[in-house]
Amino acid sequence: MPKQLVSLIIDGQSVSVPAGTLIVDAAKQVGIDIPVFCYHPKMEPVGMCRMCLVEVGRPVIDRVSGQPVIEGGKPKIQFGAKLETACTTPVSEDMQVVGMSEKARTGRKEIVEFLLTSHPLDCPVCDKGGECPLQNLTMAHGSSESRFKFDDKQHQKKHVPLGDLIWLDRERCIQCARCIRFQGEIVGDAVLDFFRRGRATDIVTYSEPGFDSIFSSNTTDICPVGALTTADFRFGARPWEMNSAASICTHCPVGCNTTLNIRREARSDGNMVIKRIMPRQNEQVNEIWLCDKGRFAHHFSASPDRLAKPLVRTGELVTESSWEEALNLAARSLVEAKQDFIVLAGGRLANEDLFNLKALADGLGGKAALYTHMGGGYLTTLAGVSMDTNFGEMGAGTSILVAASDLYNEAPLWYLRIKQAAARGATLILAGARETKLEKYAAHVIRYAYGDEAQTIKSMQKSKAGQAAAEALASAQNLVVLYGSDGLGLEGSASLAEACAGLLDMTGHAGKPGSGLIGVWPHANDQGAWEMGFQPVADLAAEFKNKLVYIAACDPVGDDPALAEALKSARFVIVQELFQTETTRLANVVLPAQAFTEREGSFTSGERRVQRFYPALPAFGETRPDFSITASLAQKAGLELEGTSALLIMNKIASKYKSFEGLSYARLAEVREQWPLVGRGDIYYGGAIYANTQGLGTRLALLEAGSLPGTKPVESKRPSESELLAIPVCKIYDRGVTVLPSTLLHPHIGDASVSLHPDTAVRFKVQAGSTAQLTVNGTAYQVKVLVDEKVPASVALLPRSMGIPINTPATISLKAA
Amino acid sequence: MSLTEKYPQEVKKILAKYPPEQKRSAVMPLLYLAQRQEGYATRAAMQDIADLLAITPTDVASIIGFYTLFHDEKEGRYRMQVCTDLPCALRGADQFLQELCTNLQVQVGQTSEDDLVTIEEVKCLAGCDKAPMFQLQGENGIEYHENMTVDKTLELIEALRKSGKEVK
Repeated sequence: MPKQLVSLIIDGQSVSVPAGTLIVDAAKQVGIDIPVFCYHPKMEPVGMCRMCLVEVGRPVIDRVSGQPVIEGGKPKIQFGAKLETACTTPVSEDMQVVGMSEKARTGRKEIVEFLLTSHPLDCPVCDKGGECPLQNLTMAHGSSESRFKFDDKQHQKKHVPLGDLIWLDRERCIQCARCIRFQGEIVGDAVLDFFRRGRATDIVTYSEPGFDSIFSSNTTDICPVGALTTADFRFGARPWEMNSAASICTHCPVGCNTTLNIRREARSDGNMVIKRIMPRQNEQVNEIWLCDKGRFAHHFSASPDRLAKPLVRTGELVTESSWEEALNLAARSLVEAKQDFIVLAGGRLANEDLFNLKALADGLGGKAALYTHMGGGYLTTLAGVSMDTNFGEMGAGTSILVAASDLYNEAPLWYLRIKQAAARGATLILAGARETKLEKYAAHVIRYAYGDEAQTIKSMQKSKAGQAAAEALASAQNLVVLYGSDGLGLEGSASLAEACAGLLDMTGHAGKPGSGLIGVWPHANDQGAWEMGFQPVADLAAEFKNKLVYIAACDPVGDDPALAEALKSARFVIVQELFQTETTRLANVVLPAQAFTEREGSFTSGERRVQRFYPALPAFGETRPDFSITASLAQKAGLELEGTSALLIMNKIASKYKSFEGLSYARLAEVREQWPLVGRGDIYYGGAIYANTQGLGTRLALLEAGSLPGTKPVESKRPSESELLAIPVCKIYDRGVTVLPSTLLHPHIGDASVSLHPDTAVRFKVQAGSTAQLTVNGTAYQVKVLVDEKVPASVALLPRSMGIPINTPATISLKAA
Repeated sequence: MSLTEKYPQEVKKILAKYPPEQKRSAVMPLLYLAQRQEGYATRAAMQDIADLLAITPTDVASIIGFYTLFHDEKEGRYRMQVCTDLPCALRGADQFLQELCTNLQVQVGQTSEDDLVTIEEVKCLAGCDKAPMFQLQGENGIEYHENMTVDKTLELIEALRKSGKEVK
């Protein structure tokens, strides 16, 4: 129900805004800037900094009649004796706000003067200089000279590491508490707080390790001074020296909008380099936030392991070659292989790359497969979410079911937004075999044993805890179901997807706007691959045998050394990659590809939003975009594919796939005004986040579903008394090829570890913190033992991508090393 | 030893005073309990309190930082907090503080050599007419000592020193 509108006058302008709006926001909507430091449009107001002081007048109410007193045909307005804070005062009917009077100006000037008494004014060496609200608002509202004695200045520590990613400069802090409130209100990890009082007030963290949050870097964006800086960008560059390019984060299926800040610099041998990654506003995807992985794990595009030239193998000898030679050899082998070839594509490829790979496989009669451990994506293309779903608007009436997924580690921004949806009244239901962080906010928790995932969803009403949850699902106006692969391999997750799609169908939510199924994929563009008809294969080793294998953007041998033998049995191996990997080492031809930072393209997020990314850096060495490499290869093998422009490929995608119908690069680049306003000249308001001027992307259309196809139920592995079952789980900071080159994150990545219940540890005679020998599929690995009461008995949690191949639950042996 | 193991009855009693959904309100009485023996709250005690009340150790630390009677650093077994605000100074409190420090061979804010007493200078303690006066914070809580002289104070310190030895 729309709120009642309230009319008021701010500095002579009439404004009508919904009741409850704060004066500062009402003013902002008509372009009047009331300066703030502590107020932030995403957080509750606190009125701490006093910068937003204005004169407020309200109609005089006659005590007898209760009606406004009329004077000269107008309501009589009484102004308060003192200035009021515009950030804590809600608007009221016929209110008059004056921000431009001498009285209000003086108030603001004095507040700035107070703030500066403790501030070092070290703008010339401050990272925030150039995009600093304090600097800007001092210029606009402050005094040109200081009355404060320089010797009376506070001197505080200037280099305080809050954690290993964020540094605090105590002198610069103006105690607005934006960082504290962000961590407490928005993230729900209250790891920052004030310590002491008055001028001695300090920001502290007592978490172990310090500032223990995967969203910590957002505090540096909203900090209105240079008090908080990231270890990555600190002393790195001045804001005005950098250019920016719009991009999309490639680390998870959320598809956060980002801006890459780049600069040509001497210390990087005169090359263009990425200096930092900033969030770019998209209120339907990441709002104005970005997780620390997305912000800091960008160094891979400049990794020393990048391939610059094609490589060709002759016997044991691998030599650099020209594109012509490498492509000719690859194409010749492709033609010779006839239909005996398989294309294996990774989920970090763009839609355009995937389209060409699929077209090549279809055109020449081969097979196209997606390299993933998670199945069921076909169902998300039929019963996925469409136009009307937005976590940011979900509240009462919406139920959200998260099954077998640890969103905090797998898709941090979904964690953040679903937590807030629950706070707004959405019913959150978590189904999981172990406790995850999001459970704190859930209305219902359904606990099952690993192996029972699909069955639990199918027979939810039968358990006591499940019954209440099932009712909440059935009665919900909108139902969004997220499923993941916590403890599940390809078959298990496909089976769970089928159960979840069945649930949507059964409760009448399938195909309805505002409802749908979301896969929490391991990669950024797995959804795009599913939309184009890629399917994963269960047994890669069997698929490789005697075939030509064309691998793009994935490292199956690095993930599972057992596949090395299988790949050796292939007749010819073409690998298209960014880096040298274990897989490229076994290739006959290696084709160097451009990173997403060097080219253009689009990704499809887990919420089926297609979003464009733009080139930021010049191409590395002789690399080419993936879609162009595939097109050249196809052409030499006698198949014409579009390889000159990503835009033209998108047009082809739009005409071939029904869900992409009507999409074009122009449409993906459309923007409209978003609230809150951020990233323009007035960074004091929302923070240093970039405004979105390059495209909000578009959701894919829902297909005419009809009845959903069923999959065969599979028998999952279950732990038995005598053995130990390894359960693959996801860890945000892993040893993935795109994460590891960021050395900054290494303390968070740590060593390969296994988590056990204390009883299990006793049973296998291993101690917490010790190193143990873990044997999986006949290969032994050294792992660190972690003991945690939250781990179910008789299983061992083994993070994926930490050096131990584990895609699906497997029996392992464990002993003290 | 955790706080609950050390004072099981007291912790239970404190928690019982607050409704379970607002148990974080118990943070202040628990902090008094935590600093009773050592005179300050250890990192481990902060963690214990955080776990008991389902808040973060940072939340607990912030309370310690805000209130002057909570301490997070080891000082003397007793804290002698002398008021030197204007009315007290008119009755000689500032001179009293100086002489006391000279006798104990410490500066304001420092602790006597035997770790027995820390001398602190504080704002109004609401005992202006009985200055020089101070409050003594120790294991038995807070006591007021009014109309004091340096000699009387040194006697008090001597008595505290003896009682401490007896306890040992």
